[in-house]
This record gives sequence, C-alpha cells and structure tokens, in this order.
Amino acid sequence: MRILIVDDSAMMRAMIKRVIKLTDVPVDTILEASNGEEGLALLRAHDVHLLLTDINMPVMNGAEMLRAIARDDRWRGLSRVIISTDGSTVRREEAARLDVRCYLEKPFSPEVLRDVLTEIADGRLAGTDPQ
Amino acid sequence: MSSPKSRMAALQALIHSDAAAAALFDAVRCVAERSFFSVAEPGHDEVFDLEARRVPKWLSATVRFEQGGLAGSVSCTLPELLAHSLFDAFTGRDPAEPPPTSDLLVDVVGEFSNMVCGAWLTRVASGRAFTLSRPRVEPTSHVGAIGDVRVLAAIDDRPVAVDVCVRT
Repeated sequence: MRILIVDDSAMMRAMIKRVIKLTDVPVDTILEASNGEEGLALLRAHDVHLLLTDINMPVMNGAEMLRAIARDDRWRGLSRVIISTDGSTVRREEAARLDVRCYLEKPFSPEVLRDVLTEIADGRLAGTDPQ
Repeated sequence: MSSPKSRMAALQALIHSDAAAAALFDAVRCVAERSFFSVAEPGHDEVFDLEARRVPKWLSATVRFEQGGLAGSVSCTLPELLAHSLFDAFTGRDPAEPPPTSDLLVDVVGEFSNMVCGAWLTRVASGRAFTLSRPRVEPTSHVGAIGDVRVLAAIDDRPVAVDVCVRT
C-alpha cells in the first residue's frame, strides 16, 4: 500500500508515520505533503492507495483538495481519511459527500488510527466514524 | 426557525458562559490525555500563581478562528519544560535520541493549541465550520492578559493557562 499524509504540521506527519509503522499493514511508501496543492502534485506523480489529510492548511486546504480529487475519475479508487481538529457537523456532512471513508477527529489516540488503517487495509471500512 | 442574528446572539451568550469555560477545560483534558498521554487537572489561582513564579521560560501559542462574522482566538501558554515532555509523549522520542530543536518545540505547542481550539469549537459550536489559522507561537517570560474566558490547568503538574478572546 502507498500512503500519502497531508498535514502542515511536520510533527503530526511524523506521529502518523510512527503509528503506520507500528501496524501490521503492508506499506510500500509513505509520501508527505504540507498542503493540498503539494498533495495533489504527489497524487498526480504517484499511484497512491490511501490519503490521510488534515483540513485546515495554508495554500490549499484539505476540503479544496478533496473536492479536486472528487472531480477527477482517476482517483475514484483512492481511500480518503480526514484527520482534523474540525469536528463540526458541517465538515462531516461535506466529507460524506466527498467520498471520505473515515473522519478522524484530533485529538485521537494512536490505537484509533491503527484500527482505521487496519480496517481499510482489510477492506472493511466504508464511511464509518470510529469515535 | 431562528434567524442567523438570533443564532449568533445565542452563540455569543454561550461563549461567555460558564459552560464555555467547562468545555474549554474538557477540551484541554481531552487533548492532553488522548494525544499526549498526560494528565490534566483543573488549576486554581493561588497554586497557579505560585507555580508560575518558578517557570523561567514560557511558550504561548495562539490560533485564530473565524466563521461568518464570528471570530476570535485561543491561546495556550505553557512552560517550555512542559513542551519538551509533550514532544516526547507525542513523538515517542527515545531518551537516547537528540532533544527536540526549538522549531520542533514550536510545532508541538502549536499543534497542542490547534487541537485545543478545534476541540473547544466542536463542543460549543459544532454546527459551524470554522477556519483556523496556523498557530503563532512565541516565547514569553510571563503569562499574558486574561481573555474573555480563561481556564487554568495543571498538565503533568505544570501550570497551563488557556485564554479565549472573541470578537464579532
């Protein structure tokens, strides 16, 4: 599995990478971007299977990136997970319309992220909220 | 159905209420426990003042929020020593590894504040999608002025002040 993490906090990306490495999920490559624009560039250049993205970011936020992804058929098979401090019902409803499989609200424990990754790798997760 | 104006008034009243302060502490505790494996307890003025006098260096992180005419900020001020232990907890740093650089300490305090701000807004106004700014983190020698809402806490026995300022 090839995973892309999009978050403007280098520390948050490092924490997510650490959790990914602690799971049994087979991962080939973990790519990183610090905003939606960089994220889209990496998606165009690589065959990514799972996207983990924040919402509030500079340059291009996560919602704008997800809208761009939803408009393009080439990313139809991409699993999308939001990891954000924004737990509003408005954002969650928008995420559901953008084919986001899981909305993970910060703060979260590493175990919750591990379970989400494992369930996606097993193909079991479909639009659920683990919290 | 209530008008946007009356909903705004209701939200402003909520933000200035005791419920907002309770929600702010709950947000701090939730962030400390879930992401930083730390214990957060309510702080008290006298104890906070006493502990604060012993702190040589603080870091203060401010996150601004805005949506539809309602805007404000959440500021978390905490000892630099606590930032070190939060970094270790968050990243799982091994004691044998080099200590975090000042940039990484800024990042961890910013992320802490970002989470507190988001968790608090979710508790007091979950029907609104706020835009949050990047955290602005600054070193300081003292805890700043009290905001519209202030919560004192002790995280791992170290003093923390969280202030919310609201403007419309």
